[in-house]
Amino acid sequence: MAAAGISGCGLKRHCALADHEEKEMMKDQCGRFWNGMDLLKDVTENKHFLPTGLEGIDTLLGGGLRQGQVTEITGPSSSGKTQVCLHSASYVAARHMGAVMYLDTSNSFSPSRIANITDELPISLVQEPRHVRLKRAMSSIICESVFDIFALFEVLHRLELSLLNDKVNNVGSKVCLLIIDSISSLLAPIIGGKYLQVQVTNHMVSAGNGALKPALGESWKAVPHVRLVIFRDHGSNICTATVLKHTLMASGRPMKFVVPS
Amino acid sequence: MASDGDPPVLAGAQNAWDMLSEEQSQKHITTGSGNINNILGGGIHCKEVTEIGGVPGVGKTQLGIQLAINVQIPVEYGGLGGKAVYIDTEGSFMVERVYQIAEGCISDILEHFPHSHEKSSSGQRKLQPEHFLADIFYFRICSYTEQIAVINYLEKFLGEHKDVRIVIIDSVTFHFRQDFDDLALRTRVLSGLSLKLMKIAKAYNLAVVLLNQVTTKFTEGSFQLTLALGDSWSHSCTNRLILYWNGNERYAYLDKSPSLPVASAPYAVTGKGVRDAVSSNCKRVRVM
Repeated sequence: MAAAGISGCGLKRHCALADHEEKEMMKDQCGRFWNGMDLLKDVTENKHFLPTGLEGIDTLLGGGLRQGQVTEITGPSSSGKTQVCLHSASYVAARHMGAVMYLDTSNSFSPSRIANITDELPISLVQEPRHVRLKRAMSSIICESVFDIFALFEVLHRLELSLLNDKVNNVGSKVCLLIIDSISSLLAPIIGGKYLQVQVTNHMVSAGNGALKPALGESWKAVPHVRLVIFRDHGSNICTATVLKHTLMASGRPMKFVVPS
Repeated sequence: MASDGDPPVLAGAQNAWDMLSEEQSQKHITTGSGNINNILGGGIHCKEVTEIGGVPGVGKTQLGIQLAINVQIPVEYGGLGGKAVYIDTEGSFMVERVYQIAEGCISDILEHFPHSHEKSSSGQRKLQPEHFLADIFYFRICSYTEQIAVINYLEKFLGEHKDVRIVIIDSVTFHFRQDFDDLALRTRVLSGLSLKLMKIAKAYNLAVVLLNQVTTKFTEGSFQLTLALGDSWSHSCTNRLILYWNGNERYAYLDKSPSLPVASAPYAVTGKGVRDAVSSNCKRVRVM
């Protein structure tokens, strides 16, 4: 075949190709195209949402985390970012929506907290004893610790391969939610896959004048599709979340929610 | 090993159900004060980085030394039976005080387990303050480059000394406040250090305790006390405990935890070490 040596995003020509061969190969490489109506239909009809289980946040997000989108949660230390991640993981796992991949950079993934949250969720329609539901739900949350950027790249690469190879698979075991807590610790860009929702947490750093702004700077701002800021009222369980950026909803609206203890 | 219904587990990853039983069988390191242990969910957790901050004189070093002793409580008396690494950046490690605290710990064990001398003579032999001191590995650090170097060296050291169950750095702040003009560089260095410490805690199943100082910060129109090293450092620990004065009493406040609610607990620093506060009229104890 004439197309030896295709690498990355470019095409390397090793020898002259016939016109029709070239057209076929270019079409394979650049993928199919969509028209505007297809896109609108996809957005309005195929609404694949993963709720986080926290009412205020789900309302702010218009249903929950959206398929194919990156949602960033940012906030000062101890504002509830990890709690939102743990709630999302528990909710998705308990509701059979798919497997959850949780990448933890600060040893904050707490299995007992997950068990706690899962037990508190309203009883599902399927009749099963609590401990069976707990085991099944927790078995579909996979946690891996990553402590440097190269480890993260490797994990993401393996995940991508396993998703590509598992095209025909039952819904329950395919990874549908990727959580990275927290990415600013690793200072890295991440992949937002087509069949994956991605939720990341980010830190807040000083912006001068005592104000706070999300970390990772101006160039990161464009990467997530949805950005939420969380602040926690001192000494209580009540948090306030505000939308910084959203593809569909207006930003700036604050909403209070309670992290149950 | 995964059945058809289970998601594919990538190498190095575990599912939450397996981690749960591991977590439930973990022993915690007692702080000496039952009240503080309660707000911490049993004590200082292994595999996690805990930051302890407070004003000078409130008892951070006392708590650090207490933990270096308590990690060594033998397994048969409910402890971890491990050794300690103490990285001292300020020179506040007073050996005579450590000896005193070791004696206090032993006398409390013998009080709780009065028939221990009947059980095994080897257990009795272990309960000497000299043995407790011999099992603390002490590093004295005099600059930030030495601090970076010792943390890099720790991985090799811990591979050779697998019974170390706690690493204490007292204080992590000291050498990063004076010499750094370039704050961006400081942030990069500190976040690199904190990731290394997280990795060590997880890989060697030990507790990492970082003592931090306080500084003033101008927020919302007034000067407030806050922990040193800035906002970016505040994300670098798994748990945070803040020690503060309330009148004449010492309190510990759990400020950050992935699984526990915020809470306060009173404590005291006595001749024997860190213990529960006895009454509400504790005088401010000057140690040594």
